[in-house]
Amino acid sequence: MRVISSWTAGAARLGVFAAAVTLGLAACSGGTGAGSSSEKATKIKLVAAEYSKDHTKAFWDQFAKTYHDKTGYTLDVQIVSWDDIDQQSSTMVQNNNPPDILNLNAYASYAKDGLLYNADEVLSDSVKSDLLDTFVKSGTYDGKLYGMPDLSSARAMFYNKTLFKSAGIAAPPKTWAEFEDAASKIKALGGGAIGYGLPLGPEEAQGEFSIWTFNNGGDWKKDGAWTVNSPENIATLTFLKGLAGKGLTQNNPGKTNRQDVFDLFASGKVGMVVGFSPLAATLDEAKKVDYGVAPMPTSQAGSEPKTFGVTDYLMAFKKDGNREAVKAFYDLYYQKDQVNTFIKAEGFLPVTKSGVEAFRADPALSSLGTYLDTLPNAQLTPTDDPAWDRVKLAVQQNLGTAITGDPKTVLDKLQAQAEGK
Amino acid sequence: MSVVTKAPVRPRDATVGWRTLRPYVMPVLGLLVAFAFLWPYLVMLLNAFRPSADVVQTPASILPREWKWTTFAEVLGDERFLAWLRTSVVVALASTAVVVVVAIPAAYFTARVRFPGRVAFLFLVLVTQMFSPTSLVVGIYREFFTLNLVNTYMAIILTNAAFNLAFAIWILHGFFSSIPKEIEEAAELDGCGRLATLLRIMLSLARPGLVTATIFTFIAAWNEYVVALTLMLDDDRKPLTVGINSYVTGYEQNWDQLFGASIVAIVPVVVLFALIEKHLVGGLTSGAVK
Amino acid sequence: MSSARPMVSGAAATAAPDTAPPSDSKPRRRRARARRGREPLHVALLWLGPALALILGVVVWPVVELVRASLSRYSITGLRRGDAGLENFRQVLANDALDTVLVNTLVWVVAVVALTMLVSLGVAQFLNKDFRGRRLVRWAVIVPWAASLVITARLFTLIYSYYYGVLNALLLKIGLIDTPIDFLGSDAWVMPSMVAVGVFVSIPFTAYVLVAGLNAIPGDVYEAARLDGASPWQAWRLVTLPLLRPAIMVATVLNMIYVFNSFPIIYTLNESNPGFGHDTTITFMYKLAFKSAEKDVGQSAAAGLFNVCIILIAVLAYLRITRWRKES
Repeated sequence: MRVISSWTAGAARLGVFAAAVTLGLAACSGGTGAGSSSEKATKIKLVAAEYSKDHTKAFWDQFAKTYHDKTGYTLDVQIVSWDDIDQQSSTMVQNNNPPDILNLNAYASYAKDGLLYNADEVLSDSVKSDLLDTFVKSGTYDGKLYGMPDLSSARAMFYNKTLFKSAGIAAPPKTWAEFEDAASKIKALGGGAIGYGLPLGPEEAQGEFSIWTFNNGGDWKKDGAWTVNSPENIATLTFLKGLAGKGLTQNNPGKTNRQDVFDLFASGKVGMVVGFSPLAATLDEAKKVDYGVAPMPTSQAGSEPKTFGVTDYLMAFKKDGNREAVKAFYDLYYQKDQVNTFIKAEGFLPVTKSGVEAFRADPALSSLGTYLDTLPNAQLTPTDDPAWDRVKLAVQQNLGTAITGDPKTVLDKLQAQAEGK
Repeated sequence: MSVVTKAPVRPRDATVGWRTLRPYVMPVLGLLVAFAFLWPYLVMLLNAFRPSADVVQTPASILPREWKWTTFAEVLGDERFLAWLRTSVVVALASTAVVVVVAIPAAYFTARVRFPGRVAFLFLVLVTQMFSPTSLVVGIYREFFTLNLVNTYMAIILTNAAFNLAFAIWILHGFFSSIPKEIEEAAELDGCGRLATLLRIMLSLARPGLVTATIFTFIAAWNEYVVALTLMLDDDRKPLTVGINSYVTGYEQNWDQLFGASIVAIVPVVVLFALIEKHLVGGLTSGAVK
Repeated sequence: MSSARPMVSGAAATAAPDTAPPSDSKPRRRRARARRGREPLHVALLWLGPALALILGVVVWPVVELVRASLSRYSITGLRRGDAGLENFRQVLANDALDTVLVNTLVWVVAVVALTMLVSLGVAQFLNKDFRGRRLVRWAVIVPWAASLVITARLFTLIYSYYYGVLNALLLKIGLIDTPIDFLGSDAWVMPSMVAVGVFVSIPFTAYVLVAGLNAIPGDVYEAARLDGASPWQAWRLVTLPLLRPAIMVATVLNMIYVFNSFPIIYTLNESNPGFGHDTTITFMYKLAFKSAEKDVGQSAAAGLFNVCIILIAVLAYLRITRWRKES
């Protein structure tokens, strides 16, 4: 009668479960039972985004071990893919159970909701003064630093030297006119050659657009006011639409995501593309494309090229008794042998002054020289404004439609959305 | 394979030619049908045998430009992958067991007995199928957080079981109802109680239904994504579906390993199917899906 | 429905055990009539208890949470900010993209379910025939079902790719087209491309439900049909199809639900298209919470409840039209 006994066992287990469910429902209506405030947390949880399979988890596992050895606190690490991390963090916040540390590409909305510690509470002065000013600025909401940067990247123009040579282009373009000329020449090579890889699809349209418009004197916000539909921005989007219209880009740029143009560039089919250090790592590994990296062309001759910088954040949630452990976390993370090791392994750029020095001194990283020079002056998107968290999504979901629609209409609508209409 | 063929009857004059041709034509047709279902996975297999960059190389080439034979060794030698595989096996087997144990009595009882609330129960079961787990995941998290079961196998086993119960109950309900009452009555005359009748007679008669429900639940649990993503925090407790996302991130792509891992992930399901497929055909019984 | 009840072979009928003692004593005390037909509620609870516990515990509880969420106001971070009344529902109904999304959903569900049923009928008939290698074919057919939908969807984004997709490469090679087709970017092609994948992954499950149904049809029914001089087509239409009706209905209802709730295919294949142009109600709901400028889990919950109502009404309508419960 083995069947019966397993059936009864199953039934018994379910009975226990049913009882638990009943208790759970009762507990649910009784309100949340948060721990008493005097209690000190000995264990904190980190939800970290996965940059790469081989490095992210390895780093955080090692970090958790060191953290435990040095401070006695335990660090639970949960690695989540970028695709799913918004959902994960939202689910946790909705259930009043956020992690202690969250790694994300936005922070301002969380700061606005009063969920986060600011740097005065959890960051040592030595750490704070070591952070690059540009990232302190982007991490500061309402006068206080909430968004502690974990790593950064800067974008630059990657160009295919082989295609440039065949097309008779001597040097990477410095102005938009030169750029368009170069793109036309590459296209004229035929054989499927593409002048410029333009990703305005929903994944990161705001990034591609930022780097172009920053080099046209445009921006998302100026002096505290939204300038999404500024003349400079409209001119930029019209220029990009023009590139597509003239067939200088890949097929359907309004519906192309970043990785797709990277793949095309790696196939040697694209003359130019805006890239960053992880792309360089991929190209170096495959050794198929002879490429160069140059500053972005500007709309006007003679103006200084702008670098578009991006940083992700490690923010700390206010929870009863976790402040000491969180502080210890940051103290350890920003130690040179931790933060720089992580950034190096993932192939990104430093976020601290000491990090920039260390990277510069490392002969293995000499190829990053261009980025390191421009990083302190990199221009970022307005991540310090909570409204940007929503505007960014609107931009991602709409900017690409300008390729087939009217740039001004698209930007007007986005401006209205930004202004909270 | 011992099933009586149920081919529709052909007109007499065509029969002779068909009889000679059939042993040759049918296997060829079978090959075509198999290919129709397998070709994307052949593409997948070929993608596992080339370096990642070659997968997304323009222009496309159907065969790898450069072969890479180490992918499966890399995947199977990866401790993270093996942990994900283990989780998937445990969770899928346990979920299937729970579903079968819970669904059989419910399906049998509703098929055979009239009681107050019978229609309401069957309706409730059907309605549970209509909620997308994606929309319920926040509530599911809250529930298991309250029960202190986040990051446990128990949590996703119970969730998988609950969301696949409906199919099992429906299928089994249909099979049980189609078994003539006379058989049962005979058993009862022999002094069997309801439970004994169910276990000794009805189950073997409804075997194709049971097999269908088992396969279905196992596959659904094997491929569940969103709940496991939300509930399983430790990397080594993630199932394969969630874990293999790591192979391709926004910054680094290992298409070869992703597809190699995916091929490996298909194998246990096909093996399970191969093992119990013959029961799907139901040699002696004839249950109807109802 | 009872007309579809198959005969039972003698072997099964004699399989009854001889003198097994009853496993519980209660039924013996009851009258034989009760044994065969009716039971009071508390006995029913005993048999259905585990199932009810699972459903109430794991499905209904989260549903209650969903309803609660739909009535709440949320910050973009997911922090609850108070009651919203019916505001979330109003917002969803006022969404500009709603019409597009509803039409997409209708097209998606009807096309995928109809094509799936049609093809699966053929596949099931075929799999039910006896031929050399049938087992291998059956194993092959299960593969699209066995593979995770997320992965199959990713695989198809590669296969469909404009630049490095195998499908375009193949079509170009055999000369069917001169320039690649933008399967996932051209507005005309996105939905058909998604439907094709949807049908492809739905067939195995459907075919096996139908194979089970075909197996339940006794061979002697065909014998009778042949004696009556029916052509194969007549035999199929007049004998097979009516007897297969229960299986077809189960498969259709379940497919309607699964296809309606299908997330990975649409989300993944449609990933590079901005806006809601090719979304169905399920991906719409997800994007409302995490990807679109609304980024509002309250609205998403409201959309989730609308979704349940839509599929519930659709299924009930289908059951009514096809006179599902003719018997009970």
